[in-house]
Amino acid sequence: MKQFLYLFRGGDEEYARQSPEQMQAHMAKWGEWMLKISQNDQPVPGLPLQAEGKVVYNGGETITDGPFMEGKELVGGYVLVEANDLDHAVELSKDCPIFEFGGSLEVREAVEM
Amino acid sequence: MAGNQQATQVIDHLFRNEFGKAVAYLIGKFGPSHLSAAEDAVQDALMKAMQSWPFGTIPDNPTAWIIRVANNKLIDQLRRQQKVYYATQLPETPEAPPIISDDLFKDEMVKMMFACCNPAMSTEHQLILTLKILGGLSIREIASSLLKKEETIAKAYTRAKKKFKEENPTLEIPTSGEIQNRLVVVLKVLYLLFNEGYKCTEGDQLIRKELCEEAMRLNHILLDKPETNNEWTRAHMALMHYHVARFAARTDESGEAISLELQDRSKWDAQHIELGNRYLNTIPEGYHNEYFIQAAISGIHVNARSYEQTNWAGILTLYNHLYSLKPNPLIALYRIIPVAMTHGPEVALSELSKLENEPLLKHNHLLSATRAELYCQLADWPKAKTALHEAIQKAENDKEKAFLNRKLVSIPGN
Repeated sequence: MKQFLYLFRGGDEEYARQSPEQMQAHMAKWGEWMLKISQNDQPVPGLPLQAEGKVVYNGGETITDGPFMEGKELVGGYVLVEANDLDHAVELSKDCPIFEFGGSLEVREAVEM
Repeated sequence: MAGNQQATQVIDHLFRNEFGKAVAYLIGKFGPSHLSAAEDAVQDALMKAMQSWPFGTIPDNPTAWIIRVANNKLIDQLRRQQKVYYATQLPETPEAPPIISDDLFKDEMVKMMFACCNPAMSTEHQLILTLKILGGLSIREIASSLLKKEETIAKAYTRAKKKFKEENPTLEIPTSGEIQNRLVVVLKVLYLLFNEGYKCTEGDQLIRKELCEEAMRLNHILLDKPETNNEWTRAHMALMHYHVARFAARTDESGEAISLELQDRSKWDAQHIELGNRYLNTIPEGYHNEYFIQAAISGIHVNARSYEQTNWAGILTLYNHLYSLKPNPLIALYRIIPVAMTHGPEVALSELSKLENEPLLKHNHLLSATRAELYCQLADWPKAKTALHEAIQKAENDKEKAFLNRKLVSIPGN
């Protein structure tokens, strides 16, 4: 089993337009999916990310607020999932609720040590 | 167990219910003028919950979490808008709100109900405000359930919010002199809301049932406070329980309405009937109370084993009481079938003829449909058919027409 990182992007604009009831339904789908792709009874590890952050260059010589990107570019969260290979990891990602509101997902294999 | 609960296990409608609670709490704290900002803050908090709860477990106290996040977002927003008067001290850092008791929430919700149902506003505005704020429905969901265009509702809501702020400088429980009158207005809105859900019109049946449940949930909040728990609120609760007990039986698989006479009574919900009975029984003498009488009439129907075995004399007596309370022709019309079932169709026809010239009933298909029913009881098929044709002409929507057409088709000699 290898480790893969999913990076989530976008969807925020549409989220804001959902009714409370719809948000709850969407949240339940996330919960389901994170259990589904897990190898045990727990949801896969991961965290959402705050939008405001900083970008640091050159040991702190330059620090800017950001990254400021268009909504659909900004990484909103990540998840670590176990899969056999890249294809398998991509396969597991297909049910992700991020797509419901036009978001996208990046799949990267973590290098084995 | 709350500590281990996952995002899939959040109770039904939590977000929707919490929306109203949180907005009521924030308005209570910051004032009605910040209604829009409060709604945005709660919406943001729910969005944050949606995005973060799946990654871990849901908080032990979801309500407190949502309130805390919404509260801080609102403070941020107010600070940015500099809508802070020197008298208001905004905290420097995000604060954890005090432990909010259930009682406090009930208080805030009840105040919010009175504010949304302020008689100084139109009924339409009262209904939309109730659905949007207390019910936690979106504009789109409200439009869908009221069968109106989204744009229409959006515009109405903007106007309603303006009125809300104008007519409610603060949120409060009305004084004891005013409270009964104000309560009646709230109950009217809840009954309107309930009826929207109960009507057998087109549209998503699921949302319709939820409107009924929403009306009952809000009524329940009124019951939880001694100032608003009286025979009116309880009678209203009984009435809704009796109606909702028949929810499953009133349409067939294709969504067509089934008359009370033909409904499969085994599908009636015994629990709801029992609850209705209990509420009704708390009222020893209710003939001055229109909700009591309506509930009692419903109660006789739902507790009867069959249409034929129904205590029609009891129903007739109740209608007579209701008529003396509210002498309106529609009630006189509703009482005609009970007259037929107790005194026979000829007597009923003679009573009906007195209503034929009522201006309020002239275009009402129910008048003709009732006449048709009486002729059916007399087996006078030609006259029954004529009356039904008349009723179909006057019917207001396709569902009603379809219902009457099926009756027509079932008449012998057709």
